[in-house]
This record gives sequence, structure tokens and C-alpha cells, in this order.
Amino acid sequence: MLLAVAVLPAVYLVVTSLTPFQLTTPGSATDFSSPLRNYGLLPGDPRFVNSLWVQAKLSCWGVLFQVLLGMLLALLLNVPSRFVEFARTFFLIPMVLPPIVVAVIWKLIYTPDISPLYYAAQALHFTMPALTSSVDFALTAIVIADTWEWMPFTFLMVLAALQTIPDEYSEAALVDGANTLQIFWYVTLPFITPILVISGMFRLIDSVKAFPLIFLLTSGGPGTVTEVTNYYAYLLAFDTNEIGYSSAVTVVMLLLVAGISLGLVWMGRRREAMG
Amino acid sequence: MKTSSRARSLTRRNLLKASAATAVLAAFPAPLIAQTKPFAGVTLHGASFQHRFFTLLQKYIPEFEEKTGMKVDLQLSAFPVYNQQANLELSSGGSAYDFVNVTFILAARWVAAGLLANLDEFTADPNLTPAEWNPKDFVEGAQVPYRDAKGATYGYSWEGGAMLMGLSRMDLMEKKGLKIPKTFAELQQVCTEINGTDGVSGITSFQLHHWNLPPYIQGFGGNIFRKPPGDIMPALNTPETIQGIEFYANLLKSAPKGVLTYTEDQARQSLLTGRANIFIHSSSWVTPILLSEESKVKETSRVVRSPAGPVHDHPASNSQGLGIPKNAKNKKAAWEFIKWALSPDISMRLVKEHGHSSVCRRSIITSEAYRKLNTVNGQDLGALYLEVLELPAKGENYMAYRTVKEFPIVGDVLNKAFEQVATGQLPAKDAMNAAQDQAIAALRRAGTQL
Repeated sequence: MLLAVAVLPAVYLVVTSLTPFQLTTPGSATDFSSPLRNYGLLPGDPRFVNSLWVQAKLSCWGVLFQVLLGMLLALLLNVPSRFVEFARTFFLIPMVLPPIVVAVIWKLIYTPDISPLYYAAQALHFTMPALTSSVDFALTAIVIADTWEWMPFTFLMVLAALQTIPDEYSEAALVDGANTLQIFWYVTLPFITPILVISGMFRLIDSVKAFPLIFLLTSGGPGTVTEVTNYYAYLLAFDTNEIGYSSAVTVVMLLLVAGISLGLVWMGRRREAMG
Repeated sequence: MKTSSRARSLTRRNLLKASAATAVLAAFPAPLIAQTKPFAGVTLHGASFQHRFFTLLQKYIPEFEEKTGMKVDLQLSAFPVYNQQANLELSSGGSAYDFVNVTFILAARWVAAGLLANLDEFTADPNLTPAEWNPKDFVEGAQVPYRDAKGATYGYSWEGGAMLMGLSRMDLMEKKGLKIPKTFAELQQVCTEINGTDGVSGITSFQLHHWNLPPYIQGFGGNIFRKPPGDIMPALNTPETIQGIEFYANLLKSAPKGVLTYTEDQARQSLLTGRANIFIHSSSWVTPILLSEESKVKETSRVVRSPAGPVHDHPASNSQGLGIPKNAKNKKAAWEFIKWALSPDISMRLVKEHGHSSVCRRSIITSEAYRKLNTVNGQDLGALYLEVLELPAKGENYMAYRTVKEFPIVGDVLNKAFEQVATGQLPAKDAMNAAQDQAIAALRRAGTQL
């Protein structure tokens, strides 16, 4: 079962990446005459190199905001109150919405002539640029939407961690005269750091899948400003029909994600070993 | 008198004849039924992308099933999904479909790769195609994409798209003393002067630049390839192409904010709500400004020919066709369906009963009934539609760039480069020089000999 579901498609992807496979070129799927050709072309492909750089920016900024905001929100809502408990569920809504619905919501928000955001700005006599077609703001617009969608994940994880911290520690610190900031820094943060790292790593791996937002909001544009690697791979496979080359791009992505995952495992083991 | 004559006709001989006939019918019932319903028991599998044409056609399909005895299983998917499915199905030599939509942008690729059946074999056989079906009745310009180099036909067009110019606010233009623009220079002037008046943008467009942009490039004398379909060396950095890119980028300065990421629907909405004055696009999108119920600019709209460039007047056009996969299991049944779906009768019913005007039969487009239904604000939209649809078949086929199999690769590069110019990331010359290099590299990577 595992072989059929996980291993075989991956092996087929690697095999395809060794061919010049194009749907309408008969025999190209089994042409292994120059197996490393696709990989040799990748470093010289400016769009591929650019897409890695865009992905890195999107992932780093997105994860940073998601972790920070998720933590902040968890700290604010870690209060024993019926109302707060009820309110927490609202913050989880973006995460459970289908990704395409999230993309549509942000498409409406970012479209100047129908967006409440732009109406509000207009009422305040403030001129807003068209966010998704602006070179300076398009990637930020994606980061904001991605953060809105996935910040609840970090929020949920941190909130769970906060609720495992025994009250005695902060009570003792209070008796010793520590202020709120000091309690957070010396008591709370050490407790939740592993969760922050783990949720950040999960989000980092998952950020590679920010496809629906990019597909619907910017189509990778303007130019290649928001063209991440998986969107580029999609264009190659389904727009320009270069299945073999697209597979090579995808294999490189797979290796990068695998590298991050292994790094995560290694960090976890090292931490355990250090006690 | 009547009774006696009937009595006379009931002779012994007549009774014997009738008995003999009944005996024959009882002995061989199947062939007679088969003649009535020649495809009884056949399930015909077809696929296309979702389009109003098929939604309407589905209403008539029970009639076809009743007449032929076959069952039609028509699978309709979203445009990109269908194209991916059909690409995979056809290129892998599958036989899942008996008829398919031959998508305009993929037609050359599928025809050149030999993935479709030659329909001339069906039209040349009088047993399969009656003379009145008349393949020559299809508008020549719409048929060009479905022919191979030797002129054999691999598809018949069910829809035509002719690039026209829609103007929504003639009232504003008249107030300002502006006339309908006929040249690029006049277009630029009208857009600039209208932009911002009463909150109206001068022009609207959408993100499919490789459809909207080429008429401007060609208008200045440039092209996407050097001389398609024979010479497919990209020509993205010629002075003429750069001029076209700069012109269109400048034109979009009069468009609504965020127009670079607009979808077709957004562009159409901005026009029919009167928030933008001009939309240059396919007739099937522009005409609803005048005809749709939701239009707020019915009284102040016009649909006219697209403005001409200083060198060429090349409004874009396209068409979608129906074809039969080479490995289809039920080719004759599929041809029966195509003949019926694109028959003069069904075409006219679509026009009369549903106002679906983008049909490709000349006899229908030029008919009095069609003209009556498609004359709006005194304008004969059918005549405009036919004129533009025919242009590529007269003299140089200037739409050839879009039907060569290399177009998707170069079109994608063109899209990106144009956005870089329109957003000021790069000057047009630099962007197009880089685009030219990228297009050549991408084509070579894909195995194209240049």
C-alpha cells in the first residue's frame, strides 16, 4: 500500500525527470539518451533560479509572521474564560476553509474596484496601490493572505503548549518580583520554544504548497515577482507541455523539502541528546 | 362508393401479399429497426471544456439520441482541466473519447502529431455525409486552424471568436467631442481623454496578454515568430514588436487599477457597469455589453471594428472545433454526432431559440433571421463578426502564430515580459531582449530545431 501510494509516484517522477518527455512527442517518455540533461539546464534557467528565491522569501516571511502572530494571539487568548474559549474557535476558521475559498476571499479584498479595503481607504482619502499587480507589494499581498490562512495553526499549537505550563513557575516568579515581560522571557518562552520551532518547521515545509493563492491572486506575476517553484513547475507541465523538465524542477523541490525535514529530525534528536 | 372500392381492394392476392410481408418482418425484424436507429446500443463518449454552446446543445441531445438510438455521454470540464485531460488522452493513444473539442491553441499540436482522424474521409463519402451538410459552408477563417499542411480537415468549428471593440460610454465621448477611434493613435487619445472622467477608466483588459497584445504588435508590423508557420524563430525583440509592447503598456495606464491581474469576467464587469469605456476582445465577450440583462450601458454602447495599426489591421480571431481522436472506437457514430451538432438546423435553432450568435456557418450568419436578432443600436454585429473571422483566410494568415505548437512556450515568455514592461520593472527593449533569449532557450530545451 505504502509502495503504491508514496514510493511509486515519486520513483516515476524521478524517472520522468531523466527524459525529455513532452506529451506530443512520441517516444520522448522513454528516451534516456541524455538522462541528466534536464538537471544540467536548471542552473542556467533564470526563471527557475528566480522561483527558488521567491519561494525562499515567501516561506521565510510567511513563517516568521505566522509564528509571531500565532504566539501573540495564543498569549492573549490563554485566559480561563467561557467567552474567550468561544472566541478562539473564530480564529481557527481560516485554517479549515478550503484553500481555493481563501484565495477567492483575498481576491475580492485585493481587487480595487470592489474591495471594502479600497472603499475604506478612499473614504479616508488614502490612495492604495493595486496590491496584486504591484511589483513592490504583490509578494507581500501573498504573504499576508498566507499568514491569515495559516496563523491559526501556530496559534493552536502554542495555545496547547501554554496550557501545559504549571502555574507554580509564574507564581514563583511573581513572588520574586518579576514583571510580565520577564515572566514571558524566562518562564513561558523556554516552555513553548520547542513548539514554536516545530510549528515553524511544519509551516516552512507546508509553505511550498502556497499554490492556490498564487494561481488565483497573481498567476506568478507581475512578471515573475511571485512565481514560486511549484507554480513554475505547473506552468512547465501544463502550459508549455515540458513534463520531463517540470519533473526535474519538482525533484529538486522534493530534495529541498526532504533536506528541511531531515534537518528538523536531526535538530530534534540533538535536542533530546542534550537533555 | 368508398366501401365498394375498399372491398374490391381486399382481394385474395392482396391478402397473400400482406401475409408474405408480415412473415418477412417477423423473420428479420432487426435489420429494419437498425435502419431506423442505425446506432442503437452505442454509447458515444465525448469531451470538451464547459461552454454555453454545449450547455444549450445538451437540451437537444435527447432528440439526437431518439433519432439514432445511441446514448451520448458528454463530459464537460473547466478549460485548463479539459486541455490537460485531452492532451494526456490523445498523446497516450487512448480511446476513451469518440469525439473531442479541438482546442484552438492546441489544434496545430494535435493535428501535426497525427492525433486526430482525417474528417475529409467522412465528408467525401456521400453515404456518410449528405450534400446539404455542405462542409464549405463553414467560415474559412474559422477552419484554418483545423487543417494540416496538405489542407486535410481534422475539425469543424462550433464557435468563432472575432476581436471587436466595445465602447460603453458613447455619451461621455460625445460630450467631449470624441469620435469612435479607428487608428491606434486615436485609440490612445480617446483612452487618455476619457480616463478619470466621472470615475470611468479609459480602457479595460485582462491578464491573458498573449491574446490581447499580438494585434498591437502586428499593427506596428511585428509578429510573435519570424514567419509562422514555416519559420518559428521568435521575433520578440524586433523594433516593431517593442513598439507594440510599449504602446499597449502605455494604453493600460488608462485602465483600472490592478488590470494586469484582471480575469475576463472582471474586465467584462468593469465594462458593462460603465466603469471602463473600451474593451477590445472576442465578440462573444463584447456583445453581451449590449445584449445582457445586467448591462447598465445598453443605451450608450457601441460595438465596432478594432482600431487599425499604422502598418497592419490585424484583429485577432479564433475558433473552437469538434474532431474525432485517431483511436476512437466509434468513429462513424462520432461523425454522426458532429454532423448533427453542427448542422444548419441546430445552428439556426441555437441562434433563434437562445440568441447564441457565435456559430461558424456562413449561411446562418448571413441569414435574415440572424441579422434581425443581432442588429443592436443599428449595428449589424453579424457582419462585423464575419468580416473579422474571415480576415486570416484572406491573404496572409496572420493568426498562424497562435496555432503553431510552439506558441504556448513563447506566449508564456511574452506574458511575463509584458508585465515587466507594464509595471516598469524593465525598459521594453531590455525586457524583450531577455524574453527573446528565454524563448529561444525554452524552445531548444523542448527539442525545437531553430
